[in-house]
Amino acid sequence: MSFIDNLMMGLSMVANVGSFLALGTGVAVGVFAGAIPGMSATMAVALTLPFTFALQPITGILLLLGVYKGGIFGGSIPAILIKTPGTPASSATVLDGYPLAEMGQAGKALGMALWASCTADLISNLALILFAGFLASFALSFGPPEFFTLMLFSLTIIAGVSGESLLRGALSAMLGLLLATVGLDLIYGTNRFTFGNANLMGGLNFIAVLIGLFAIPEIIAMVWNPKVFDGQKRSMGKSWVSFADYRRCFKSIVRGSFIGVFLGAIPGIGAAPSAFLSYSEARRTSPNRDKFGKGELEGVAAAEAGNNGVAGATLIPLLALGIPGDVITAIIIGAFMIHGLQPGPMMFILNADIIYALFIGLIVSSVFLFFIGSVAIHGFKYVADIPRGVLFPAVLVLCIFGVFAVNNSIFDVGVMFAMGWVGYFMLRYRIPAAPFLIAFILGPLLEDNFRQAMLMSGSSPVILFRGPITWFFWALTVITVFAIIRAGIKATRRQGPLKVESQT
Amino acid sequence: MNLTKLGMACALTLGMMTTAALAEYPDRPVNMIIPYGAGGATDISARAIAEALTEAAGTPMVMSNVTGAGGATGSVAVQNAKGDGYTMLFARVGSHTVNPAMKATLPYTLDDFRFVTVYEINPVVCAVTPASGITSMDDLIAKINEGGVSYSSSGVGSLLQLAAVMVMKEFGIGNPLEATVHIPQKGGGAAATAVLNGTVTFICTNSSALAGFVANGQLTPLLVTTPERLNGFDAPTAAELGKPALEQLVGWTGIAGPASLTDDVATKWGEWMATAVQDEKFLAVMEKAGSVIELMSPEEAKAFIDGQYQTFRKLVDDLGMRIEG
Amino acid sequence: MHDRTLHIQLGIGAIVAAAFLLLVAIPVWVSSPSNVPNIILSPLFWPWALAGLTGITGFGMILTSIRQPAATKPEVCDVDDAPKAWGRLASIAAVMAVTMLMLPRIGMVWTSMLVFAVTAFLVRTNHPRIALTSAVLVPLVLYAFFAHVAGVAVPQGDFVRLP
Repeated sequence: MSFIDNLMMGLSMVANVGSFLALGTGVAVGVFAGAIPGMSATMAVALTLPFTFALQPITGILLLLGVYKGGIFGGSIPAILIKTPGTPASSATVLDGYPLAEMGQAGKALGMALWASCTADLISNLALILFAGFLASFALSFGPPEFFTLMLFSLTIIAGVSGESLLRGALSAMLGLLLATVGLDLIYGTNRFTFGNANLMGGLNFIAVLIGLFAIPEIIAMVWNPKVFDGQKRSMGKSWVSFADYRRCFKSIVRGSFIGVFLGAIPGIGAAPSAFLSYSEARRTSPNRDKFGKGELEGVAAAEAGNNGVAGATLIPLLALGIPGDVITAIIIGAFMIHGLQPGPMMFILNADIIYALFIGLIVSSVFLFFIGSVAIHGFKYVADIPRGVLFPAVLVLCIFGVFAVNNSIFDVGVMFAMGWVGYFMLRYRIPAAPFLIAFILGPLLEDNFRQAMLMSGSSPVILFRGPITWFFWALTVITVFAIIRAGIKATRRQGPLKVESQT
Repeated sequence: MNLTKLGMACALTLGMMTTAALAEYPDRPVNMIIPYGAGGATDISARAIAEALTEAAGTPMVMSNVTGAGGATGSVAVQNAKGDGYTMLFARVGSHTVNPAMKATLPYTLDDFRFVTVYEINPVVCAVTPASGITSMDDLIAKINEGGVSYSSSGVGSLLQLAAVMVMKEFGIGNPLEATVHIPQKGGGAAATAVLNGTVTFICTNSSALAGFVANGQLTPLLVTTPERLNGFDAPTAAELGKPALEQLVGWTGIAGPASLTDDVATKWGEWMATAVQDEKFLAVMEKAGSVIELMSPEEAKAFIDGQYQTFRKLVDDLGMRIEG
Repeated sequence: MHDRTLHIQLGIGAIVAAAFLLLVAIPVWVSSPSNVPNIILSPLFWPWALAGLTGITGFGMILTSIRQPAATKPEVCDVDDAPKAWGRLASIAAVMAVTMLMLPRIGMVWTSMLVFAVTAFLVRTNHPRIALTSAVLVPLVLYAFFAHVAGVAVPQGDFVRLP
């Protein structure tokens, strides 16, 4: 069958009310669920799964994909409005989105998040359709040594999000890395800092840590000094993103989308690292780099482009190799299997019509996301008008429900509270939270892949230099570290010894 | 003002307490703990039977994923629950035979649970990539004797790890721990990926996890542990290869409550399960996942689990695989 | 707080934490099998490395801050009623502790209502009526959503169960 035939077959499968309805419903459910902290995109997809049992395969899978895409965008809504990332992927959005909301520009931030998300989504889908084969073989050349070097490079992001003092950023990262060691050791299965508690054996729940670190300190700070918040009235105002803003951020959005596509194609990384990498790249190259972290629209655009760029690309290993890149795609693979479809190279031959139907559906989903996202923003924006004396207690209660729901664990609520105090302590000592998060996400990946590589080679470090991909990342790491040091020395010369600590 | 609030809540509490009389089980939703993540074999199995169970029991079954530590976190949540039948567990081979056999530090034992049934059996399949040039178990064993062979698993104390070791031991490898390298991965998906990208040589896992890769020609199956050949897997059975002992090596899903579970709750569950496994939708989903539906009574389930535990425990002790720390 | 004081305090804290990890926490709470072939594979290796790096970061902070001039401006507290502020901080900590105790016993909905009301009081809300109404409504709405739409087994406690 030719390409056109397949396309036509695919079109005939998608072009019916059922498919569009499924896609629309999916996106709407996803945006809504993603907007509730704790109800991550993963959970929304898992909850939707049983409904797809009874549907046509293509309709069911489009429903799940809609939920997935909507959920990833939806997470940015609470991240911007109440500093509570709905999904781990939107934690980078908090960095600039929340300061913007504080300045009464929530509408602008949300609008930019939506535009960036849709653009990245579209680019990601096109990458899937055009380069699936190439990117899939690229993904398969990623073994533990390649992963290790990629993670090492990604850790250099920390320098970019440390704010005024690199040393405080480093301290924050150390804390994140140390807390990430809690749980069972991957290689030997022994306990590390679990204190015999079964709840700690699985490690600290990521969402509990995330919400604890961002949302709770804000509440504690208001308890400490309610007056500061008294006079401030944050309203949405009439702020809405303009086309000029979009054009200004366009380069960052495209760059973020491609970072998302590459990281998304590699199984096991997920959207959060991609969002942070995109954010730090945007900051590095921006003329307004000093404004990043204080309410720079481009930061929101880059972060959202980074995490939505992943959404289409994670389907590359899924469709081309049958490999789930993360928990969400694992559920979607489950849905394929339940309908008797086995994703992989043969599916492109045996069920090419379904593949093309999915491609068409995905492109349509970007459009749906744009319209449903706009409606959602206009619905949720009133949150910004709620007086804080009511909003903050409500956020606290919402966090309790949400964090519990992630893993059905009251213990996690305790983790959230404890992390809230850690976060408040960090706030008072002006230690940035972003390095903590990046380290918490990347630390285990770095350690596990390092040890897996050592197991593969019988403890010979030569394996860490085994091919062009590892060399590439080593080179990138060396160049970045060099650049950080040089920038530090330059800044020291310019400002004198007074500010030494902030750049070394 | 918060005092008023407290008072109100107390009054409300007292008012409603009187209405909560003791009724016959079940008078409210049952919380079913799935100790593994969404999208995994246990999760799909659990969610597939949920609807049929809800119908049979006449009360909602609320599915809760409590993940972590290879199923231990969710299992402990049920171990510590009341035996009133409102908190039940989807027990799995990993959490309830491999883990207890391998981990001395596990916070529970098999005696902490009362099994009401085992309803699903998944055979184990061992597979390699076509690129490895291995086409039969004999090839694999020859390669292992040469050295440099590794296998992946979804973590320490998972079925995948024990399965690989047990298969090698049955095929005459004296000490599989020294002859090969175990490279644990985070989860079953990552374990399969490790074989595909050449990080490891082979994998032994549930047929459902590999069905897609085998159908797509990305993996070559070498062995299945069912008595008869498995649909879709062009590989000899353990018995054909003269190793019938490997038929013990199967994955399963069952339902358990805490040890204090009362008799009439257990009886009720027996009735519900008998109805639920007849459900056509459930059967269709399970068949596509390559599972065999085999409903066991509580006694049969206990005997089956104990038998598998003893087999695994002996292997673990013989090879010194037990994790003490 | 001035940067210099801040960094000296943080530096000392980091060194103490690193020492605690290396001397007490890692030996006691991280276990490693006896037959690890190579030190870099041991479960202890990574925590050791991290503890070491934390210590180095601490030293770095102290060293750089010594080179700075001492604070010239007196410290300004950010609140005008410091003792009361500490009291409020202690209260919110108590609220969290009590929440953890009450969640499994009286259930999430009732606990949340109390948490809402007390927190609103602690942040001295300007809208007590709205806050109190929300304190009752928000947990109920969240319960309805999580329990009936999302299918989460929200903890109900031993006394009053919601449908």
